[in-house]
Amino acid sequence: MNGRTDQLRRRQARLGAGSSRVVWVLLLAALALTVGGCGKKSSSTLKGKKGGTITVLTAADVDYIDPGETYYAFGYEIVYTTQRPLYGYKADSLVVVPDLAASEPQVTDGGLTVTVKLKKGVKFSPPVNREVTSKDVKYAIERGFAASVINGYAGAYFSVIKGAPATPPKTPQPISGIETPDDHTIVFKLSRPSGALIGALTMPLTAPVPEEYAKKYDDLASSTYGMHQVATGPYMIANNAAGSISPGYQPSKLIKLVRNPNWSSKTDYRPAFADQIRFEEGYADATIATRKILSGTGDVNGDFAPPPAQLKSILANPVQKKRLFFTPVSGTRDVALNSTKPPFNNLHVRQAVAYVLDRNAMRLTRGGAVDGKIATHFIDPSFAGAGFEAAGGYAFDPFPSKNHAGDVAKAKAEMKLAGYKTGMYTGPPVTMVAGNAGAAPNTARVVINNLGKIGIKVTPSFLSASAMYTEFCNVPKKEPAVCPNVGWLQDFKDAQTLLDVTFNGKDILQAGNSNWGQLNDPKINAAIDAAEKLTDKKQRAAAWGKIDDMITLTAVEIPWIWEDYQTIFSANVNPARQLWNQGGPDLSWMSKK
Amino acid sequence: MASPTHPNEAPAPRPKRPGGGILGALAGPAGTVWGLASSSTFRYIVRRVLWGVFLLFVVSAITFIIFYELPNADPAQIRAGRHATPGMIKEIRHNLRLDRPFYVQYGYYMDRLVLHFDLGTSFYSEASVRSQIVSRLPVTFSLTVGAVVIWLLIGIPVGVISAIKRRSLLDRATMGASLVAISAPVYWLGLVVLFLFANDIGLLKLFGGAGSYVPFSQDPGTWLNSLILPWLVLAAAFTAFYARMARANLIEVMSEDYIRTARAKGLSERRVIFRHGLRAALTPLVTMAGMDIGGLLGGAVLTETVFNIPGVGRYAYDSIVNSDLPAIQGTVLFGAFFIITANIVVDIFYAFLDPRVRY
Repeated sequence: MNGRTDQLRRRQARLGAGSSRVVWVLLLAALALTVGGCGKKSSSTLKGKKGGTITVLTAADVDYIDPGETYYAFGYEIVYTTQRPLYGYKADSLVVVPDLAASEPQVTDGGLTVTVKLKKGVKFSPPVNREVTSKDVKYAIERGFAASVINGYAGAYFSVIKGAPATPPKTPQPISGIETPDDHTIVFKLSRPSGALIGALTMPLTAPVPEEYAKKYDDLASSTYGMHQVATGPYMIANNAAGSISPGYQPSKLIKLVRNPNWSSKTDYRPAFADQIRFEEGYADATIATRKILSGTGDVNGDFAPPPAQLKSILANPVQKKRLFFTPVSGTRDVALNSTKPPFNNLHVRQAVAYVLDRNAMRLTRGGAVDGKIATHFIDPSFAGAGFEAAGGYAFDPFPSKNHAGDVAKAKAEMKLAGYKTGMYTGPPVTMVAGNAGAAPNTARVVINNLGKIGIKVTPSFLSASAMYTEFCNVPKKEPAVCPNVGWLQDFKDAQTLLDVTFNGKDILQAGNSNWGQLNDPKINAAIDAAEKLTDKKQRAAAWGKIDDMITLTAVEIPWIWEDYQTIFSANVNPARQLWNQGGPDLSWMSKK
Repeated sequence: MASPTHPNEAPAPRPKRPGGGILGALAGPAGTVWGLASSSTFRYIVRRVLWGVFLLFVVSAITFIIFYELPNADPAQIRAGRHATPGMIKEIRHNLRLDRPFYVQYGYYMDRLVLHFDLGTSFYSEASVRSQIVSRLPVTFSLTVGAVVIWLLIGIPVGVISAIKRRSLLDRATMGASLVAISAPVYWLGLVVLFLFANDIGLLKLFGGAGSYVPFSQDPGTWLNSLILPWLVLAAAFTAFYARMARANLIEVMSEDYIRTARAKGLSERRVIFRHGLRAALTPLVTMAGMDIGGLLGGAVLTETVFNIPGVGRYAYDSIVNSDLPAIQGTVLFGAFFIITANIVVDIFYAFLDPRVRY
């Protein structure tokens, strides 16, 4: 599978259309979480040694090399090293700080106008070589809506801007609601107040793109700007005089970052210690790659997790253990039950499944406790202060069992309530589409075995993760009764990003659907609508916490793990992580020893 | 086609034209075009090439059908991401021409392929599939040639010696070892040699490990060092197989009547074996070698994956994982091309290796 562990590694959260009146200060406060709950703190400091080359080992390539297209944790490792969005994060921190922006966004007009002032002196890398202006940010966002670029989240977070296209134009078109009164001011006019937009100002889509240079690439049917991109961050993908990054980007082989000669440390908070960063791709075997990092021939893992057996070995070694870091991926892995199909259109049958699942056995298929905590609801511990406690924290466990091993007796009791007199299902086999790689098939087999305990026989199909999602689980008409390998991650530290698109009945789409349980409960839909409008942080967390509980009780999706991602650093480097990006290496802060 | 005669029997009547082989065909009676065109070998070559082209069409069509008819990932949905709206998916599908009937897409693809040798662009990296494959061919070529040299240089002599020293300790040892080599999966063997001999993670830091490949033009020494382990691993099973085949063939040939005749004529055993026995015994191995080389040039997927060698096989693997149809199609066609070409070349050279063969 492509990605750090598998498809769950991709950033796939979405804020629904109905966002709320959120004052930016509250949102930033919600985002400004500390390191707590994110594993031990790594030791990145400004005292790192200048120079040297950092080598990142990866299993596969980025999803897209274009900073406006990538929507993948690995892609973000590169983008946040080569580009400067309006806002960003320091290493090992969840605190939002201005990056290209000069200060915090100013929200006026009852939340309908957002003004951002830009820093002066930020320049594009060669061959553009000129200073960044607000028009470059405007164009960057506009191109995200174009079919030739196809950004994965522009529509979700930026469609609230007045004039944003409802359907993608073939090539970038101006958006009237983005105004640039001067070269260092950008103003967003919104059709309604939106906390989501404020949060999205940290996303790569806000990194500037020079229109006069990029337009000829973006006006193709499929933009090739990515292969000719310019940088604003401390590093750039090595390019030639014409701007082609072919010297620095060999798909699935190598991505080479070199210093951006036009970058000035005076305008940036990033120290940028290393002279060069190399992403060496193609390490399909995580064991070999991890050993290389431990031996010092690689410096950090970019898109894969060390295998569980190696994790246990590393944890048993006091020296190596210091170089291993755990970071919550901020989401859950779930078993989805299609609530439109019998027998899972019956609440009691779904709850019986929630009781009978042996979550501990399921977790063992991914390596056991090193992979994360067993989940009993959706808002994970990394949302401390943002909904986790309000959802009951670790205590909310509506389908408890000893050691999370499943409770067959309670499951059968639920089956009796569903009308099955013996507590055993008597209908025809149910369909299942599961992943065929990594731990997914084994997880699915545990689910099949568990369902058998209440008489539910399964007809499984095992496909690639992408086929499983795009051909079956994401397509309501073709969705099987059970999708045992689905999962969802946050984009922002706001519970709405976890629960809205995945459980809001209005978000059920005929293709690309992520409401896998096809839950369309009027009470829950109404609660979501109400929660979106809340601005008080505590009230908001409490509301989403309650929604989490309501959804969990429907058992349309059964969460089973709050997963961690493991980052392993070599002894040759000072570690630094992007906590907001699932713990991937923060290459602007890492340094050679 | 092989005739049942053997070298010491009355030779099959040779063609009147000078040479029944390709060299003769190319030369013609007096180097004339007529001589070229009238050569039966030339006609045979033309026929085989045409069949090869037809086969490539068939292979490409089958790949297309598999992609459309079997459960597969939807590239448009993947590209659109999880926030995709139906409009966005529709637009992407249109841009990638996925909204047209498959035969129209296939026609468009073949049009570009035949007229411009254009294999299209990757759905994901936007890179030209042709340039991706061509840039990786030297890598796969390096891997294949080295492995072939190793397995031929080791496998055939071992097989010959085993056949000559049949049932000896040496024979039993080499054949036992060959069974182990044949049974060892490439992936497992690759990991074992890396953990033993790679200069980064190995116990004995002798040779370049995974990801150490550099092009020959960049650093010949490092190139050689980086390929020693992959060559050995890739060649291991082939060596064993060729050794067993060479042994079996030679044993069979050595029991033929004409070998007895040769011995009866008083020829030395060495001459009997190398002059008469080996030539006939090794001919089938040429066919095998041709097909194996063709297959490997299409990509040694497992070896390239274990050792992180950026060759065609690795590209094929990534393409399949990403449901990247143009890249899948390109790698399949390249693989098929090499196999078909190798077959044709082998059939042609068969005539030179085995005098009994005529076209």
